[in-house]
Amino acid sequence: MTSLNTHSDPIILEMRSITKEFPGVKALSEVNLRVKAGEIHAICGENGAGKSTLMKVLSGVYPFGSYDGDIVYQSEVQQFKDIRASEHAGIVIIHQELALIPELSIMENIFLGNEPTKRGVIDWAEARVRSTELLARVGLREDPETPIKEIGVGKQQLVEIAKALNKSVKLLILDEPTAALNESDSQHLLDLMLGLKGRGITSIIISHKLNEIEQIADSITIIRDGKSIETLNVKADGVDEDRIIKGMVGRTLESRFPDHEPKIGEVFFEVKNWNVGHPQIQDRMVCKNSNFFVRRGEIVGFAGLMGAGRTELARSVFGRSYGRFLSGHVYLDGKEVELKSVRQAIDAGLGYVTEDRKMLGLNLLDDIKATTVSANLRKVSKNNVIDANKVFTVAEQYRKSLRTKAPSVEEGVAKLSGGNQQKVVLAKWMFTDPELLILDEPTRGIDVGAKYEIYGIIQELANQGKGVIVISSELPELLGLSDRIYTIFEGAITGVLNKDEASQENLMKLMTSARKTA
Amino acid sequence: MRMIGKAGKAAAIAAIAALALTACGRSDSGATGGSTAGGEAFPKDSLIGVALPQKTSENWVLAETLFNDGLTEAGFKPDVQFANGGVSEQQNQISAMITKGAKVIIVGAIDGAQLGTQLQQAKESGATIIAYDRLLLNTPNVDYYVAYDNFKVGELQGQALLEGMKAKKPEGPYNIELFAGSPDDANAKVFFDGAMSVLKPKMDDGTLKVLSGQTSFEQAVTQGWKAENAQKRMDTLLAGTYASAPLDGVLSPNDTLARAIITSVKAAGKPIPVVTGQDSEVESVKSIMAGEQYSTINKDTSKLVEHTITMVKDLQAGKTPEINDDKSYDNTVKVVPAYLLEPVIVTQENVKTAYVNDPVLGPLTQ
Amino acid sequence: MNALKKLFGGNTRQFGMIFALVALIIFFQIATDGRTLTPGNVINLFNGNSYILILAIGMVLVIIAGHIDLSVGSVAAFVGVCVALFIRDWGIPWYLGILMGLLLGVLIGAWQGFWTAYVGIPAFIVTLAGMLIFRGANQFVGKSNTIPVPADYQYIGSGYLPEIGPNTGYNNLTVLLGLAAVAFVIFSEIRSRRNAKALGADVPEPWVSVVKLVLICGAILYATYLFATGRPGTSFPIPGLILAVLVIVYGFISSRTVIGRHIYAVGGNRHAAELSGVQSKKVNFLVMMNMSILAGLAGMIFVGRSTASGPFDGVGWELDAIAAVFIGGAAVTGGVGTVIGSIVGGLVMAVLNNGLQLLGVGADLTQIIKGLVLLIAVAFDVYNKTQGKKSIIGLMFKNFGRSSEMKPDETTSTKEVISRGA
Repeated sequence: MTSLNTHSDPIILEMRSITKEFPGVKALSEVNLRVKAGEIHAICGENGAGKSTLMKVLSGVYPFGSYDGDIVYQSEVQQFKDIRASEHAGIVIIHQELALIPELSIMENIFLGNEPTKRGVIDWAEARVRSTELLARVGLREDPETPIKEIGVGKQQLVEIAKALNKSVKLLILDEPTAALNESDSQHLLDLMLGLKGRGITSIIISHKLNEIEQIADSITIIRDGKSIETLNVKADGVDEDRIIKGMVGRTLESRFPDHEPKIGEVFFEVKNWNVGHPQIQDRMVCKNSNFFVRRGEIVGFAGLMGAGRTELARSVFGRSYGRFLSGHVYLDGKEVELKSVRQAIDAGLGYVTEDRKMLGLNLLDDIKATTVSANLRKVSKNNVIDANKVFTVAEQYRKSLRTKAPSVEEGVAKLSGGNQQKVVLAKWMFTDPELLILDEPTRGIDVGAKYEIYGIIQELANQGKGVIVISSELPELLGLSDRIYTIFEGAITGVLNKDEASQENLMKLMTSARKTA
Repeated sequence: MRMIGKAGKAAAIAAIAALALTACGRSDSGATGGSTAGGEAFPKDSLIGVALPQKTSENWVLAETLFNDGLTEAGFKPDVQFANGGVSEQQNQISAMITKGAKVIIVGAIDGAQLGTQLQQAKESGATIIAYDRLLLNTPNVDYYVAYDNFKVGELQGQALLEGMKAKKPEGPYNIELFAGSPDDANAKVFFDGAMSVLKPKMDDGTLKVLSGQTSFEQAVTQGWKAENAQKRMDTLLAGTYASAPLDGVLSPNDTLARAIITSVKAAGKPIPVVTGQDSEVESVKSIMAGEQYSTINKDTSKLVEHTITMVKDLQAGKTPEINDDKSYDNTVKVVPAYLLEPVIVTQENVKTAYVNDPVLGPLTQ
Repeated sequence: MNALKKLFGGNTRQFGMIFALVALIIFFQIATDGRTLTPGNVINLFNGNSYILILAIGMVLVIIAGHIDLSVGSVAAFVGVCVALFIRDWGIPWYLGILMGLLLGVLIGAWQGFWTAYVGIPAFIVTLAGMLIFRGANQFVGKSNTIPVPADYQYIGSGYLPEIGPNTGYNNLTVLLGLAAVAFVIFSEIRSRRNAKALGADVPEPWVSVVKLVLICGAILYATYLFATGRPGTSFPIPGLILAVLVIVYGFISSRTVIGRHIYAVGGNRHAAELSGVQSKKVNFLVMMNMSILAGLAGMIFVGRSTASGPFDGVGWELDAIAAVFIGGAAVTGGVGTVIGSIVGGLVMAVLNNGLQLLGVGADLTQIIKGLVLLIAVAFDVYNKTQGKKSIIGLMFKNFGRSSEMKPDETTSTKEVISRGA
């Protein structure tokens, strides 16, 4: 710290008693944040704690005047009226959902809204030279003319950072930058952040991945229920994951997984020789001759790197809702069934909780009660007429039993935090009374406290004798939860390990190599 | 809380009471309401509704001004409306006029067959209905019809076409093409039939030839009286049928279409044939002066409006308005008593004298 | 002040948009020296706009499902001319003609639904094609002529409830209908209070219900009075009756039935709906088909009112219907809107049109004013949303279907982020 900014104020940003209210909700209350120049400052808190709102206040999304308190940046009180104003001052925010235009090239995206011009005409030669240079700085080896849609999410994240660097960023804010990235991409990004720190760029990172924060952050500010709780100095205070969790939830969690005594029955669901083609690309297979089974009361994990074909397998089994079905058999209780549509799959007793809640899982215009019954309207209707009282009662029942935090079941799902949205989605599928529930990344973007509760719900389902499939990128989660784990690599199942024989190491080995034996 | 509860109840009672008070049942005054002095049929300051079609030609715009001024001068309250939104808008406008208590409703219909329900309402409210320029069809509820003699218009157009061609080329046979107006305007067929009464014999004896073979009304129509439709059809005819053959004359039902036809001919680089017209539009009168369009018809709008207002005055005074035809205009339900004005054909020869009294065209032609 | 807030804010906020309509009516009532609320004019208002309102019912479902239908005017005209021809040339009775018209609507709807739902061509394009196809078909089969229809057929477009029973000075059937409506409104309010209590949900305070009931029932009774005391021979018009039945049926379908929920689900998030077992293709097909059936019905009613079918029937109707739906609070992106809202939106336009005609404002100025009203109504709603306040139009009809309320919060949608750009 002493090597940097010795002659100036080491505090680059101070947010003083920020209060932001929405009608009926106080999202932030007297929040304080002090960020030193040249550090990586993490903001931790449960979903809905107010982290994103705070960053929106800082970046001018909520303009000056719509909140109380002061933003002091580079020793001056700032009054940002929009994002442009904050960017002009060198503050750049990179959102969880990337703000890139898929049809445009890397270069066009980097210079979007900031095009280098010569007498009013865009100077593409200059743009090319500069973008090559910027891509080198973020360690991305791609032709600047490649369309964004052709590169993966990890690389897109790097393009966002290149774009920020082009705006001569002084304070870089990253909101959940690694949420959608696989391990190696995440590591690359974290290394890049350390590199930027070396060049004097200050970063604020919001993340749920506490191990990453522990790895790179210098300071951590913890926010809980719209209030700033504490600021920790990672090295001086000897902060570890448990310490952060304690601050976030206000108590220590004894165990990250609830206790569970599995009661496993006989095999009731089986998939054999499952082959599925890519929906658009001819000759490309997304599932190759897969075989797997689930027993009653069993939690089965599916491990694989992102893009390995886990979601594709799950969705193709779930009423062929993905890809081109080529061949394969599904057996329920020993009898072969054909599940040609989602409706048939649901009727047969399958449920699928998607990894992409906002795009595929929820109608964000709906309220809790409508969502809860949406996959099983038949059960709340008579002669196709919906019984509004029943809907209310059912939704209320699940709200209470799953402890969904919402003022009432008439609350819009868009207003809920990720964890509570996931609980509503779980309620929706539990209400279909499935025999087999497939959960695709059930805890993505969900904070620690809610994760624990969701694990409990999953185990409770298994206790009731249902089969549960959990797909996850987080190996500790799979190891803690599953009774048995299949590994997938490039569309093929490469192995299966029982709970007692599985470890991060042997799973990773199976996830990254082709099947050894036929 | 309790206060408001009481207020609510009070409001409820007040509302019910108000209903009870106003609930005097329907009044029996069905038809003409109110008493008037002497032999007057209705008061002198009554509302007179004038429902005109879309603002598509200069004549309708002129009629608006003339009706407003003339009716006001005679002491009436005019309500002149254009129905740019089509038939349904005109229906609503006539309904609104009835609501406002119009005593006479003058209707220049967009589609004379689609106003039956409103005319029925008007009749029941006691209003007199005058069909202006276009006849109202399929309804017993039309009292008078005022228009220029449209069959005569067609005859004059036919004669002008023949004379014009003869002046250019004394001997036949002549190649001609026929254009008619919009099929939803009842007059269009009348114009066409009038013209054909003159042209058909000449076609039969071989003096006239329609090379495209399109001689029936259905083939010659111009949807919506739209210039662009006429122009497109002419383009097609010129490119197809008259690529080599000369075209001597075109029967055009009005000036707007005549100019469209001439535009098409010019664009094709052909000599301008004899083209008839109607309505004395400014641009067409200029065109006649310039020797392009051959003829137009002077149906002086001011005379038509003037006579219509005279009828309104007669009705107000309790007199029967003058008519000059009680057999020709059968609207399929009744024969409508009509007053027909004589149209005048205008060519380069008489263009100077025809518009002497016209404030706009007069100066143009001197 | 607080009392007003309780009545129109809080739990019973569905009045606001109706408020605008009432304000408009009062304004014109004063400006036209009391000619707006006369029996004759109110009957005209319904007769002259029922076909647009019927289209708005179908259109709101199409728009909720995330589509649009530009062909409704042409389909209406085509069905109208066909029915007029069937009756004239084949000599079939009027009711058979109407039945065949509805059947034709089904066929046309199946055609458009097929391309939209199963081939996957955007409805905008399918119906743009339909607009041309059926306009041309109308003029082709009708030879661009007006085709008259017999008097008994005209009943559906310009008829009234008959006079029956003793001479009370009112139209008895109209009075009965009005009283039935009042009884229904009171009954359902009592029932919803009882339900809310039983479920432990928020129950509005008694006075709120009382005032609400007094206002609604007062309005119904006043309307009944107007309809029942018109010129002898007139009463509640048949097109109005058809409209009322359709509003009730479709209001119920959209808010209370499985297919209704499915329409909202497909419009709100098609992928999520599909993964919940909703057959989105079937929903899209039905919605498009339904629109054409209603368009056919609207066309037949118009022909009845006009006593003849013409080559330019229905020109521009699609735009009037779409405007009504958007004034009524629907969203261009789908998933949001209500039947009642659209009817109120359509009535706002109708009252505006009628009032301006009564004032003798010309057709040109009327169009300008209507355009501005559309823009301002929607802009007002959008402004309220972006201010983080509740969508007024959406809220008003909360109980009738679904409102669009999204608070800018943690959940920023991808679209928002992209549109905000760099």
